Amino acid sequence: MEVTPVVSVSGLSKRYGATWALRDVSLEIAPGEVLGLIGVNGAGKSTLIKILSGVTRPTGGEIRVDGTPVDLRDPLRAQEAGLQTVHQDIDAGVVSGADVAANLTLDALAPGRSGVFVSRDRTRAAARAIAEAARLDVPLDAPVESLPAGVRQQIVIARVLSRRPRVLILDEPTSALSAAEIRVLIAMVRRLAADGVAVLYVSHRLSEIQELCDRVAVLRDGAIRRVFATPVEGPRLVEAMLGGEVGALTHEVRDGGEPVLRATGLRTRPGAAPLDLTVRAGEVVGVTGLVGSGKTELLEQLYGARPLVSGALDLDGRPYRPRDPGAAAAAGVAFVAEEREAQAVLPGWSVRAHVTLPRLRDHSRIGLLSRRSESAAARRVIEVFGVRGPGPEAEIGALSGGNQQKVVVGRWLEGRCRLLLLDEPFRGVDVGARADIARRIRERAGALGVVIASSDPQEVLQVADRVIVLHDGVRTGEVSAADASADRLATLMAGGADEGGGT
Amino acid sequence: MTLVTDGSPEAPPRAPAAARLATAGYRYGLLVVLVAVTVFFGAARSSFATYDNLLIVLQSVAIVAIVALGVTVSMTAGGFDLSVGANVSFVVMVTALAMVRFDLTGATAIGIGLLAGLLVAGVNALLVVVAGVPDLIATLGTMFLFQGLALIITSGQSVSAGMTIGGRPAPGRYTSGFTWFGSGTVASVPVPVIVMALLAVVAYVFLNNTRWGRALYAIGGNAQAARLAGIRVGRYRALAYAVSGLCAAVGGILLSARLGRGDVGAGDPYLMQAVAAALIGFAVLGANRPNVVGTAVGALFIGVVINGLTMLNAPYYTQTFVQGALLVVSLVTSFTLTPGRRR
Ligand SMILES: Nc1ncnc2c1ncn2[C@@H]1O[C@H](COP(=O)(O)OP(=O)(O)OP(=O)(O)O)[C@@H](O)[C@H]1O
Ligand SMILES: [Mg+2]
Repeated sequence: MEVTPVVSVSGLSKRYGATWALRDVSLEIAPGEVLGLIGVNGAGKSTLIKILSGVTRPTGGEIRVDGTPVDLRDPLRAQEAGLQTVHQDIDAGVVSGADVAANLTLDALAPGRSGVFVSRDRTRAAARAIAEAARLDVPLDAPVESLPAGVRQQIVIARVLSRRPRVLILDEPTSALSAAEIRVLIAMVRRLAADGVAVLYVSHRLSEIQELCDRVAVLRDGAIRRVFATPVEGPRLVEAMLGGEVGALTHEVRDGGEPVLRATGLRTRPGAAPLDLTVRAGEVVGVTGLVGSGKTELLEQLYGARPLVSGALDLDGRPYRPRDPGAAAAAGVAFVAEEREAQAVLPGWSVRAHVTLPRLRDHSRIGLLSRRSESAAARRVIEVFGVRGPGPEAEIGALSGGNQQKVVVGRWLEGRCRLLLLDEPFRGVDVGARADIARRIRERAGALGVVIASSDPQEVLQVADRVIVLHDGVRTGEVSAADASADRLATLMAGGADEGGGT
Repeated sequence: MTLVTDGSPEAPPRAPAAARLATAGYRYGLLVVLVAVTVFFGAARSSFATYDNLLIVLQSVAIVAIVALGVTVSMTAGGFDLSVGANVSFVVMVTALAMVRFDLTGATAIGIGLLAGLLVAGVNALLVVVAGVPDLIATLGTMFLFQGLALIITSGQSVSAGMTIGGRPAPGRYTSGFTWFGSGTVASVPVPVIVMALLAVVAYVFLNNTRWGRALYAIGGNAQAARLAGIRVGRYRALAYAVSGLCAAVGGILLSARLGRGDVGAGDPYLMQAVAAALIGFAVLGANRPNVVGTAVGALFIGVVINGLTMLNAPYYTQTFVQGALLVVSLVTSFTLTPGRRR
């Protein structure tokens, strides 16, 4: 090889209890190269990245930077070696309670990098420089937790860039981003690569991988199965990932039966134009729109998680006005929130306890929980949704991100459910599993109404029968999935008028 | 391209010895220390490791343990009840007044005592759940409020039989039924110890095996996730404070019965000891969260150490320091030896 790789790993393996998350992995990345890393949920992508970033230590194998072996004992070592990482879990990267400026300049707090006192002006000046370098446009005094996930992630990326990475490692950086934000990110990665930075890029969005990467490595069951040079066709990637064919992602568009939910005069936010919404049994209604277009606001109102701005709802013909999520859940409404880590995961809890949490009553008699009934439910979810991992008693953190997502979606389909509200349910879920989840939901949709919100129009078309498009809190169109295309949805999402054939 | 071997290689590498030691230390460390301390005291004083002394130790920690159970429940829901000490004092005063000043029966005094505990809990719930005041500040406020109220209702004096009220002697006195709860025994076991054991079992089942306990832990783990899973967070937090208030009330009744009089501020020291027991409990068996077994062990630990030191003639004024040291050591155990902190 003419150029020495910036980083190379050989014979790397990692074992968790009885599972081998990585076995004998060898890889190298050259300066200026973008290496894609793909694989189904639980294939070992995040594990590899955690090792390269010093978060976890490998069971065996060697890592070299610029040809010299290194011991990445802790995250600081990895950073000193020039390996900078943006992890899958965004909230692990920001300090909530602090403002944007403080979050951008966190590194300055590390020992030996600044004086004793933190000056507000200096912090802001430094933060402004970092934000500008990363082309980030957010008010520096906004509290981070008030910002949408996409922006929080941009903050993490901006901070990482300020450390002048030699190798930039991105674990599913786009799963929380909108299409426009993805364009910005891709442009940035290209610029960095042109400057000689080596990039390791993990994503479940194959189009992105095909567009951006010079080579693509495919992990399956912890081992590298293939390394492709681009261009490479999508189906070949999918086949290498799954080790077989993927089921077709198409479905028959249905009309639905009796209305489950009827909403009139609903508003995403005060001041927005009202909209009506009917969800029928057996039908999957997609809601799409850019980040901030009001999808989450809409779903949360239907679930009682935020106060109803205006309008009236009825469920199965009876007036429905949930005061809180508890009331909604009792009425048979289920909701999967957008941000798994912050809104669904209980650190340290088992998969079983996550599965049964929304329906504790069903698993108890005179208040006493039945372990047997709980385990059975957990095993059903694991089985039906193909959750890969160490079983129902394992801590949820031992599951890969995508498999955690399957658990928090799947748990609501255990037991009585009339209306299922899903906010970005396919975030971080691999293509094979996405098809599986969509199929399960459609199977169950025979008896219940489903609303799926996603900022990815392609994703919505794959599962929905009918798609409602929001722009800036207002409905800009509603189309049947049968005669909608991703392009037409994109026009509507941008606020354009609907010139296509109406429904 | 690497060769792919399916099936795990033989001779799997093991975790480094140091890491495994840390894990073991984290899980069992505190229990090992407890056993070691017991053996040490037993060797030093032959009267230490006897059944009679065991009962004395248990008797001495019974009220602390009961109050600590309530603190534990308040912690599971992510709260923190600082008002338990004031609650105990208030209940002591209320029960004393009921019998001495108003000449009521022991049973009525117990009922009034429990209601008084619930009143404290109600104020906590109102502040935390309805007004949205942070737990620590809210319960601190409640603590002052009821310490003050206990003084007002007794004009700042202790309440005992034969005291004069407005120039005339008080009409009543502690009933013998009531004092039985403080100094009576059943088959040589002191009544407070029996009450403690019963409450510990009930609290254990409540937190570990009922859906209410599960919901409380869920709220403590991630309140937002719990809320979106359909759990009525506000109600459960109020419930947690109610349980905490009731436990403190039981503690107050037992203390009142043992003292046989209403001393000003009698319950105040129970706050620190109960909180210490509950926090020491975090480190037991690697739970790293509030738990009943841990709290019981924590209370026992405090009792054993104090009893042992007393037998070795250590002066009483060293006790607070020893408790503090115990607490610090167990906090270090649960916060630095936690396995998987680097994940
Ligand atoms: N702390 C842990 N304890 C036990 N097993 C673990 C732990 N972390 C990861 N694993 C296991 O290692 C395997 C690889 O997980 P990893 O997170 O690397 O997957 P991934 O490829 O990133 O998947 P995803 O696309 O879903 O994020 C999984 O089977 C997972 O269950
Ligand atoms: Mg991952």
